[in-house]
Amino acid sequence: MQSDWTPFSYIVVNLARQIRPGEIAFSGVNSTPAMLACLLAKRAYDFHFTYLNVAGGVEPVPKNIPHSSSDPALVAGSPAIFGNEDFYDLCARGGLDLVYLGCAQVDGEGRTNVSVIGDWKNPKVRLPGGGGAAVMMPTAKRVVTWRTEHSTRTLVEKLDFVTAAGNLQTVVTPIAVFQKRAGRLALEFWNPQVALDEVARRTGFRFDASGAQPAAPISARERAALDSLDPRGEFAAGLRA
Amino acid sequence: MTLVAGLRAAAYGVPFQPVAGVHGSDLAALNGWQKIKDPYGSGKDVYVIPAISPDVAVIHANEVDEHGNARVLGSPFWDHPLTRAAKRVLVTAERLVPSAALAAQPELTLVPGFMVEAAAVVPRGAWPGSMHPLYEVDYPAVEAYLRDEDGALEAHLAAAPEQSKK
Repeated sequence: MQSDWTPFSYIVVNLARQIRPGEIAFSGVNSTPAMLACLLAKRAYDFHFTYLNVAGGVEPVPKNIPHSSSDPALVAGSPAIFGNEDFYDLCARGGLDLVYLGCAQVDGEGRTNVSVIGDWKNPKVRLPGGGGAAVMMPTAKRVVTWRTEHSTRTLVEKLDFVTAAGNLQTVVTPIAVFQKRAGRLALEFWNPQVALDEVARRTGFRFDASGAQPAAPISARERAALDSLDPRGEFAAGLRA
Repeated sequence: MTLVAGLRAAAYGVPFQPVAGVHGSDLAALNGWQKIKDPYGSGKDVYVIPAISPDVAVIHANEVDEHGNARVLGSPFWDHPLTRAAKRVLVTAERLVPSAALAAQPELTLVPGFMVEAAAVVPRGAWPGSMHPLYEVDYPAVEAYLRDEDGALEAHLAAAPEQSKK
């Protein structure tokens, strides 16, 4: 099947496609693909949703798209500042519908590791930590994560450390979209630029692929929105898988 | 968020603070966090985080007066619980202003001067970070000091705004 997905566009557009009408969606620190997804959804989809971000922005209309997803530029145009205490508390009391949380590893049950590769006391790599994931993943209604690298070391059968567990619903990579069904991640869509068995070969956990389909092509409006957010291709260049 | 629960416990003057979530995370066992039953009978188990009281909190403000009253514009991030939990509070600020300027809009003052031990006026003191609405993140400077090469840190320190002022 012909398709003009790039790893970058596949991740950002499929993250954006998780947002549903009327929802309150949130993007956090070190989450540039999620930030771009929320801004893309605002430009490409006709339905209303509320976009909050870690910089304190409420429905921001940023003049420039910052490199960092925690840049105060993401407050520009906000009629209010809804800062760290507010959005975490909103999540804790069940008020965030969709939360994007990054990860280093994700397992087949949709738990994530953002803490350490190797043993905690003798780590191979010390990671930055969850940044609130342990509180947000069990309390948000739905959590979406992504990995720019789809491999058996990122999508694993067993995590080196469980940073967060709970309501993870979706995992997006350059070649796949997994959705949780009956407590396990199942393949929903794959990138038609790769074969289905390549997804299985590059995934460390076992998954159900029944009903999986090639992802619908990027729409003209999604393409236009993505181009408007990254006119010089800088974000795309930073995300070549 | 668990860190903030600890800060809130200190700010509230209680030994621990309940926090939502954490269930299923290895962080609980690693940090020795305890889980308690709701004593009011909801049947819910809640993790409780011990109080964290920093010895010193340092925050950067937009404006400060001679009494240490400090105004922060834009998102306050964690400045509020941090300054309430800490034993001592130090302020750096972009500029010194007359007290009357702060009194004209007291709701913009994040920390009252009676809580502040000392303040320093440090223009562009958040560099290479941003200070709303005065300046944005200096991404080239951030990328330069992240380079894994000899002299990167020294070059970064030499480029700091307080150095060029001399």
